[in-house]
Amino acid sequence: MPSRRRTLLKVIILGDSGVGKTSLMNQYVNKKFSNQYKATIGADFLTKEVQFEDRLFTLQIWDTAGQERFQSLGVAFYRGADCCVLVYDVNSMKSFDNLNNWREEFLIQASPSDPENFPFVLIGNKVDVDGGNSRVVSEKKAKAWCASKGNIPYFETSAKEGTNVEEAFQCIAKNALKSGEEEELYLPDTIDVGTSSQQRSSGCEC
Amino acid sequence: MIADGAEDEEKWLAAGAAAFKQNAFYMQRAIDSNNLKDALKYSAQMLGELRTSKLSPHKYYDLYMRAFDELRKLEIFFMEETRRGCSVIELYELVQHAGNILPRLYLLCTAGSVYIKTKEAPAKDILKDLVEMCRGIQHPLRGLFLRSYLAQVSRDKLPDIGSEYEGDADTVTDAVEFVLLNFTEMNKLWVRMQHQVSHDLCCIACESLPFDDPELRLAVGLSGLQGPAREKERRERERSELRDLVGKNLHVLSQLEGVDLDMYRDTVLPRVLEQIVNCRDEIAQIYLVDCIIQVFPDEYHLQTLDVLLGACPQLQPSIDIMTVLSRLMERLSSYAALNVEVLPYFLQVEAFSKLNNAIGKVIEAQEDMPILSAVTLYSSLLKFTLHVHPDRLDYADQVLGSCIKQLSGKGKIDDSRATKEIVTLLSAPLEKYNDVVTALKLTNYPLVMEYLDNETKRIMATVIIRSIMKNNTLIATAEKVEALLELIGGLINDPDESQGVEVDEDDFEEGQNSVARLIHMLYNDDPEEMFKIISILKNHFLTGGPKRLKFTVPPLVVSALKLIRRLPVEGDNPFGKEASVSATKIFQFLNQAIKLGQIPLVLNQLCYSLRFLSLSVGAFCLLQIIEALPNVPSPDLAFRLYLQCAEAANKCDEEPIAYEFFTQAYILYEEEISDSKAQVTALQLIIGTLQRMHVFGVENRDTLTHKAMGYSSKLLKKPDQCRAVYGCSHLFWLEDHEAIQDGERVLLCLKRALKIANSAQQMISTAQGSSTVSVTLFIEMLNKYLYFYEKGIPQITVESVESLIKLIKNEEPMASDPSAESFFASTLRFMEFQKQKGGAIGDRYEEIKV
Repeated sequence: MPSRRRTLLKVIILGDSGVGKTSLMNQYVNKKFSNQYKATIGADFLTKEVQFEDRLFTLQIWDTAGQERFQSLGVAFYRGADCCVLVYDVNSMKSFDNLNNWREEFLIQASPSDPENFPFVLIGNKVDVDGGNSRVVSEKKAKAWCASKGNIPYFETSAKEGTNVEEAFQCIAKNALKSGEEEELYLPDTIDVGTSSQQRSSGCEC
Repeated sequence: MIADGAEDEEKWLAAGAAAFKQNAFYMQRAIDSNNLKDALKYSAQMLGELRTSKLSPHKYYDLYMRAFDELRKLEIFFMEETRRGCSVIELYELVQHAGNILPRLYLLCTAGSVYIKTKEAPAKDILKDLVEMCRGIQHPLRGLFLRSYLAQVSRDKLPDIGSEYEGDADTVTDAVEFVLLNFTEMNKLWVRMQHQVSHDLCCIACESLPFDDPELRLAVGLSGLQGPAREKERRERERSELRDLVGKNLHVLSQLEGVDLDMYRDTVLPRVLEQIVNCRDEIAQIYLVDCIIQVFPDEYHLQTLDVLLGACPQLQPSIDIMTVLSRLMERLSSYAALNVEVLPYFLQVEAFSKLNNAIGKVIEAQEDMPILSAVTLYSSLLKFTLHVHPDRLDYADQVLGSCIKQLSGKGKIDDSRATKEIVTLLSAPLEKYNDVVTALKLTNYPLVMEYLDNETKRIMATVIIRSIMKNNTLIATAEKVEALLELIGGLINDPDESQGVEVDEDDFEEGQNSVARLIHMLYNDDPEEMFKIISILKNHFLTGGPKRLKFTVPPLVVSALKLIRRLPVEGDNPFGKEASVSATKIFQFLNQAIKLGQIPLVLNQLCYSLRFLSLSVGAFCLLQIIEALPNVPSPDLAFRLYLQCAEAANKCDEEPIAYEFFTQAYILYEEEISDSKAQVTALQLIIGTLQRMHVFGVENRDTLTHKAMGYSSKLLKKPDQCRAVYGCSHLFWLEDHEAIQDGERVLLCLKRALKIANSAQQMISTAQGSSTVSVTLFIEMLNKYLYFYEKGIPQITVESVESLIKLIKNEEPMASDPSAESFFASTLRFMEFQKQKGGAIGDRYEEIKV
């Protein structure tokens, strides 16, 4: 297959409600930040062109609803992801504790071909809050978690101030690119063009 | 599809996906060879798979996502084509040659996205065209997904403020209009699903019949008869799965930079609400109102509360608006909690009264609203006002009042979830203020508790006590204590025993223990107020029955005794004779406690605290005890208490009282204690206690000692006699009291004990065999001799010690009894040790020749 096949990189951002997934994406793609909390409904993506080793890639960043009740259609959009970004709020232990669930849920639903080596990146967001005084999850603890999951790269960011966001996404793009997730290779059995579909659809012409 | 769904569906999805992949493969090949015509042909065939009616929303979404990914490749290809000189306008025309309308519109949206990117036409025109064209699909499921595709591809191409697609002709208003239109159309499709019964009917709908056509309604109604409840259930489940597609539009609106407060208030909110109210569909209404609350920022809600709340009564009467309103209040509460600087706005817009009114109206409108919903609502409102207006207790009380109004006339609540919610409601003020005293100011608070069953009252009482303990809240006035006891009544007594629900033993104990702990938090420095508190407690506890008294009386007695300690000496009572608090009064109270069967405990406590009492109070106290003691049921216990009291009297310097106690103890010993073992123990107690008494004059002491000696030599067994008698030797030698140092009588005592040991030995040897007991007795005697020898009592001579050692060494059975042998060995070691120490003691030991 020609190399152009891999110009689109799909990234999924997961994490508890209110940890700043949408803010991280907006900061990275639009360089904008809003202090207001707005829930995300369903899945939403933004794209950004990135340059990497003289080649141009389109990064397709999927932001997801942290609140389960706004994920009514399920997670079919996980399929074909090249990298999964797990986000937690360094000021919330619960959001950190839930990382395992998000990671496992992703591996089950997306079922990548090589789950052991699927690229994850962990982001601890909101390091700016209260000058770091309200922080409850230490860097050490987060890094230990990353180490236990096969040396996941870790970044501490502030979507509000833009700290480390660019660096984190650089790493995300790099890992997505290196990901072993080749697209499903499909070769048709017979050259039988365009006859099969019509019979199965209902009589409706729309 | 309806009946044996799941399995068939998998098959259909697999078949669809296979055909899909095949076409996607050829599409890709066409793209790779830059063949636009073939790329369009295969992509249209690929998209044809989305025309299926056989898949549930979940499976359809699966297929849709595949299409979505493939179309991204096509979009990139389109983009490249335009760079290679293909006119985007032509491309836009070209895609419309696709045979079927659904693939055609997907391709049109994809081309439209590229069209906007090239900026060859104003974004708003293209968007408008697309959103209008999509009307061509009236099948709800397909239409919803198509429009959701449109929403997604246009997401970053809206002429928002600051966007690259904003221009003279394109403003954020156009962006908002576009999303609102798409939203409205999607909601219509979604709502229509509810009324659509068979899939064939969709074909009628496809002709774009307006749904309010009465004939269609009739048709739907008729075929609805064939579809039983199961059909409705399935339909509602499918709708619920699809809801995020509709709600997503609101998310897009909220993300627009240009939707500021003005735009939101003037355009977005009214238009969205209009659609929600007019669709008259329960599922849509409850979900979309929730969406509004969740996706838009708090400050917008605060500034548009009127509008949002005003819409509530217009919604379908059957919908669960409670949950929605509760969520709104929860959001606003946490907003206020996290951003103190916004509090003035809450006051400015009178958020509380608006919410309160709205809730009142909603409840009024829904007569048969379940109690749970109403309570949940008030619970959220209470939390809201506690966070936002912590200084306005009247607001909180008002909420509780409204809640009572709702509960009244319905008797006790029997819905367990509702009672749980009431516990949450009542816990909220405690958590907020961390001070039960504040909660006590809420006049409606106890009234709400009236509606709880006994079990829940108990739970609530525990919550209240836990709060007091956690925050170390002192409750300092009788009035507050009274109010508090009303609140925790669930733990204090059983209002009607007839209910007869057995409480778990552990739970009961835990509850009573917590009441016991609570008593120590009820305190006032002023004795008069404190006495009132104690009296109130007593009155309440008396209603609790003996099972509870076991737990509640002890701390109350301690509390009363603490109060006695603080009282001035009776004589110079500042309150004068009329004083309301006096030791006398407290003792009357204690007496009552004694009568409640708490005698040993009360007395124990009393004796313990005697040492803190002023002399006159102490004496008084002791007299009370004398009166009370005959009530003690067990003689053994009474005996011990007498001795304890005697010791206390000793500390109070009350000789006659102490003597009286001893006399009583002796009487009990003579009349009631008959078991020989019990006698030994009792005698040890007598000797031990008597030894410590220093209050007695010579005469009294002699009498008591003499008696004790008499008892000792009358014990049943010789060894016991011996031990008791040598124990008595201590009665004649008190280390720090020179008046009680009589070496002569110590020696007499020891000699007598020795004699008994001798006769014990003879008795045993005539009986038979071993006389180890007496050897041990001799060694014990040796130790006593050494003790007094060491003290320097002149009557205990070196010779007497030496002869005793010799005597022991000559005893035959020593070798056969290892324990006696080692006892003796260690005694000798001790002597050696003392010798090594040197000094006066060492010198004395030096003299002993072993």
